[in-house]
Amino acid sequence: MEFSLNGKPVDVGVEPAETVASVLRERMGLTGTKVACGTGVCGTCTVLVDGRTAASCLLPAGAVADREITTVEGLGGDHPVQRAFAEHDALQCGYCTPGFVVEAAAFMDRWRAEHGTIKPSREQIAEALAGHLCRCGAYAGIYEAVAAACAGEHDEGTVTPVRVEALSKITGAARYTADVTLEGQLEGVIVRSPHPHAKVGEIRHDGLLAELLPPDRVVRYVGQPVAAVAAPTKAEALAVAARIEVDYTVLPTVLSSEAETIVYPTEESRKGAPRANEGPLASAKWNGNVRGPAAMSWRGRTAVKRIEKARNDGGGQTLVEATFTTAVQAHTCMEPHGCVARWEGDDLHLHLSTQAVTRVAEQAAKRWKLRPEQVHVVAEHVGGGFGSKVNVTSDVVAAVELSRLHGVPVRVVLSRPEELVDGGTRPGVRIELALLADADGGLSAFTMDGHGDSGVSIGSNAAWHSRFFYGNAPRRIRDYDHITNRAPGIPFRGPGLPPMLWALEQAVDEVALRRGEDPIALRRRWDGNAKRHALYDRASTLPMWRDRTDPGDGRLRRGVGVAAANYMYFLDPGTKVSLTVEQGAVVARIATQDIGTGSRSVIAEVVRSTLGLRSGQVRVELGRSDHAYGPSAASSCSTPSIAPAAQDAARRLRKALGARSLDEAEGLQVVGRRPRDRRGYVTPFPLDHFAIGRGFSGAVVVTEVEVDTLLGRVRPTRVWSGVAAGHVYVPRLARNQCEGGVIQGIGYALFEQRHEDPATGTVLTANLEDYRIPGIADTPEIDVYFHTEGWDHVPGRGVGLGEICTMAVAASIGNAVRHATGWRPHDLPIRPDLLLEGIGT
Amino acid sequence: MTTLEAVAKAVRDTGGELRAGGTDVMTRATRPPVDLLSVPGLRGIVWRPDGSARIGALTTIADLLADDRLTAAYPALAATAAAIATPQIRNVATVGGNLLQRNRCWYLRNPAFTCHQTGGDTCPAREGAHLYSAVIDQGPCIAPHPSSLAVALLTYAATAEVHGRSPLGIAELYGDGGDPTCDHRLESGEILQAVLMPAPTPIERAAYRRATAREMAEWPLVEAVARLTLDGDTITTAAIAVGGVARTPLFLPEVADALLGKSATEETLAAAADLATARCSPLPRSAYKVALLRATLIDVLTACSAPPPPATL
Ligand SMILES: Cc1cc2nc3c(=O)[nH]c(=O)nc-3n(C[C@H](O)[C@H](O)[C@H](O)COP(=O)(O)OP(=O)(O)OC[C@H]3O[C@@H](n4cnc5c(N)ncnc54)[C@H](O)[C@@H]3O)c2cc1C
Ligand code: FES
Ligand code: FES
Repeated sequence: MEFSLNGKPVDVGVEPAETVASVLRERMGLTGTKVACGTGVCGTCTVLVDGRTAASCLLPAGAVADREITTVEGLGGDHPVQRAFAEHDALQCGYCTPGFVVEAAAFMDRWRAEHGTIKPSREQIAEALAGHLCRCGAYAGIYEAVAAACAGEHDEGTVTPVRVEALSKITGAARYTADVTLEGQLEGVIVRSPHPHAKVGEIRHDGLLAELLPPDRVVRYVGQPVAAVAAPTKAEALAVAARIEVDYTVLPTVLSSEAETIVYPTEESRKGAPRANEGPLASAKWNGNVRGPAAMSWRGRTAVKRIEKARNDGGGQTLVEATFTTAVQAHTCMEPHGCVARWEGDDLHLHLSTQAVTRVAEQAAKRWKLRPEQVHVVAEHVGGGFGSKVNVTSDVVAAVELSRLHGVPVRVVLSRPEELVDGGTRPGVRIELALLADADGGLSAFTMDGHGDSGVSIGSNAAWHSRFFYGNAPRRIRDYDHITNRAPGIPFRGPGLPPMLWALEQAVDEVALRRGEDPIALRRRWDGNAKRHALYDRASTLPMWRDRTDPGDGRLRRGVGVAAANYMYFLDPGTKVSLTVEQGAVVARIATQDIGTGSRSVIAEVVRSTLGLRSGQVRVELGRSDHAYGPSAASSCSTPSIAPAAQDAARRLRKALGARSLDEAEGLQVVGRRPRDRRGYVTPFPLDHFAIGRGFSGAVVVTEVEVDTLLGRVRPTRVWSGVAAGHVYVPRLARNQCEGGVIQGIGYALFEQRHEDPATGTVLTANLEDYRIPGIADTPEIDVYFHTEGWDHVPGRGVGLGEICTMAVAASIGNAVRHATGWRPHDLPIRPDLLLEGIGT
Repeated sequence: MTTLEAVAKAVRDTGGELRAGGTDVMTRATRPPVDLLSVPGLRGIVWRPDGSARIGALTTIADLLADDRLTAAYPALAATAAAIATPQIRNVATVGGNLLQRNRCWYLRNPAFTCHQTGGDTCPAREGAHLYSAVIDQGPCIAPHPSSLAVALLTYAATAEVHGRSPLGIAELYGDGGDPTCDHRLESGEILQAVLMPAPTPIERAAYRRATAREMAEWPLVEAVARLTLDGDTITTAAIAVGGVARTPLFLPEVADALLGKSATEETLAAAADLATARCSPLPRSAYKVALLRATLIDVLTACSAPPPPATL
């Protein structure tokens, strides 16, 4: 078949069933075009066909015969839209970026032809880009970039990207794991259980096969990995997989924890249960399919007594009792889980989409009985993680085992349905809460029970986190895991906190309403955290808050809500950064990764400013486990670990350089370490590399929503996000991160929900149509404010903010809906059906 | 060059499935595709002497929106087309494919299940997760019909020109929804050639509305099209259709009748919208769609009974 590709004629043989995306990626090696959903929803595969955009994942190859195809590579890198994306930081992980860039470039060209350099409205931009999803939520930057490009602000001049790797992401050159092709590589696929609960017997297959079963050979959810096979192409591998025969002895399905059948009947099987939390697991008893309570109480009995007494005799106190629920939320990173494994003698090489090159390398060494230095993990670019990519997952096991069996490299990349079923979720939680304010309006006590709908996993710990918020009033805190035959929860951005705050922050709001007190003023009284006080003070002066008005009883009603968040400060005290002088430049190396959070840029900025260099004189190489030890991108520990280590390294280099210039010091190398915090840490020694530092980060979110009471839709219109995390190393990147946190919070509040078949637990939301994540048009105007004081004991004076920025968003929306409609939502997401029922139409 | 005959024969001989833009076909594991794109003469809009339009089946949704005469003549069709899917899909998706696409039931599209549509004899949604299901029960399958364009075409009393058959009304294309094995009534190998639009009504007021959770690019929970003409305040003609609530796109003459001869007050519109709910017999978790059907009708009727905005900018 002949067609024109980026201006050049090409002639390739194609299969009838092949898509244009596959021709581009697999045959032409143009991997800038991504395939994140394969069903026409996400836009990552967008190309131009005769100048008009199309989803190449659905385009039959034959349909473009004799036509002109332009991919992101064909835009050349100098299109005003590409320049604008770099300057406005309209990206994070970059996996959606090529698709956005192609669409936006076509839009801009059309716009200019029709309107010249008038700025398009937000609505017009949203309409043009409605077919693109960005899981990182870089939409605020995208709006800015597209508007500025249309207005002619980026037609010429040099580009100074905010993010050091921006250009490679914007041109499609950035290589992600799914883009890696090694000589002789096979494609692996995973065979998954069709049964919610079954014992696996014989697996019949006449070729090489890797088993992926737990030791007891029991599968516990539909979609659990059973085995993996490989073949030269994905289609062939799928065909091979379809021929495998597996004997299942079906066991009774447990979809309620009260069922008679026990999901984990033995001590041994419980040990294998996946974990939904980060860090150590609070101990708890097992009672059938319920694990708990994991208690975190403080004067729990006093709390219960006070609340019982208030229930019998109010005595002027305010008691709010309510049950809140949250839905199961899927991480669904734009880049799915994927691994390319290659054995070289006894050395294992992994290209991996991971948030934790060192941690995974350690786990792999243990699992395959290798010395640490025999495992080499590479994660050059990672298309998002959000907590789902911190371990050796089934894609890794499958690729490694298959590569060993076949003696060649094997790539395993999950499909979107696999990703939505088995790629990770935040457990749903039911929270029973009683919150008591005494007659003077002080916080008297509360009880909080969290019941996690965590599938086969344990550690849903939501209530747990309420221990550290709002002073020291008595509180009984208990968490339970309800085990069922559903896909497991795993850590997800601020594990446990969004559901806990959904309950707590709405109850606090309710106390304020009943007392007739301003909800910010009440929080300020209850909350002893000085950094958050600064945020409350600021929030209460916002015109959006100060001038909030009666929403009235029209069809569209506006309401404003506030919510706060509190999060521990984690770091990896073992972090090191090496700096080497190479050809007149300084090269920083560290075994950490950049999943879109900007760790490359933070290191570059710290080294550059400490040494007084130009940006071109610093290069950062990360994403390799072979480099100096670095942290996982988890628990918001990256920046407070890597930035001080980079600064220490830069100071050492300055000293080592003395009066020499870089040109005179070729090969000079130093290693910097993360200096200790003043007064040390809460944890006397690191647990699994993490330490808990002193102090809490904080956030206060004020959200305005417009509720359409006729059609039941909630539209966030404005969000103010105040974050207290100390010094902000690269403000534009931090802002992007916080804007993305707001958008993920909006998804959690309004759209995102895993739905299952009630009879089997099979995930039905196994595509991006049915699993709804926010699009660009759902983005409100977002104002991010940083309070930077108060972290003097931390070297560099800044801590992480990637999680604190998302936690309170849903609760602020709940409170805003309450203000707008008089009805308080208790269940997430606030779907149109729930809203209409709630407001009684 | 291929002919319709040859394509029809290929479908029958291979047991294959016709493929137009492919945006639906390619998302399903289907029978071998037989490409329609190579048949000449099926794309584009032809105006006929009586002022009516013939829209070729391979005309894309974007083509509809790019044709100023068409969008002015059939504003409800234009408003509907503009709300469908995303720009990349509209650039490729054809009118014929839109009308004849398969439904989006999450059980149908999940290989773990069989149902009436895939050789089984049950509807797992009915007993199972039916949050998005039809609420007007027409038969064993409860997947709502996916085609938005069909909703608009019903209000225009358009007809479908099918190769080797006499023209069909749009409603006939779908039947009564009682057959749970398919989403339209064409036999394998029958090819939709064009949609015939009656001559436009000069001063109609038209609107399309859909209820969704997100702002854009989301399949509707309920969608509705209304076309009204008014004489002063009095409604003189009305055509109303809805989607998302039944196995077929649904024309609602009873709602239209309740409007005729009345002035477009809030009460009149609400009373007319109420009539639509009489047809509903929802399942436990889809009951909200009854309220939403009424609300969407009120929304769409309000939108097209409001005085049109002044013509100047
Ligand atoms: C993200 C997304 C959102 C969407 N939202 C909407 C929406 O809101 N409303 C809506 O209506 N649609 C929506 N769609 C569906 C989209 O409109 C359809 O996929 C598209 O219109 C199908 O057109 P096609 O030409 O690609 O059809 P194809 O995929 O080629 O064909 C679809 C079916 O029609 C048959 N067929 C096609 N042409 C003919 C013909 N001439 N004669 C006989 N049979 C024929 C084919 O055999 C096939 O069974 C959405 C799709 C996506 C991906
Ligand atoms: S991969 Fe094509 S639209 Fe998502
Ligand atoms: S930057 Fe858009 S998905 Fe990560």
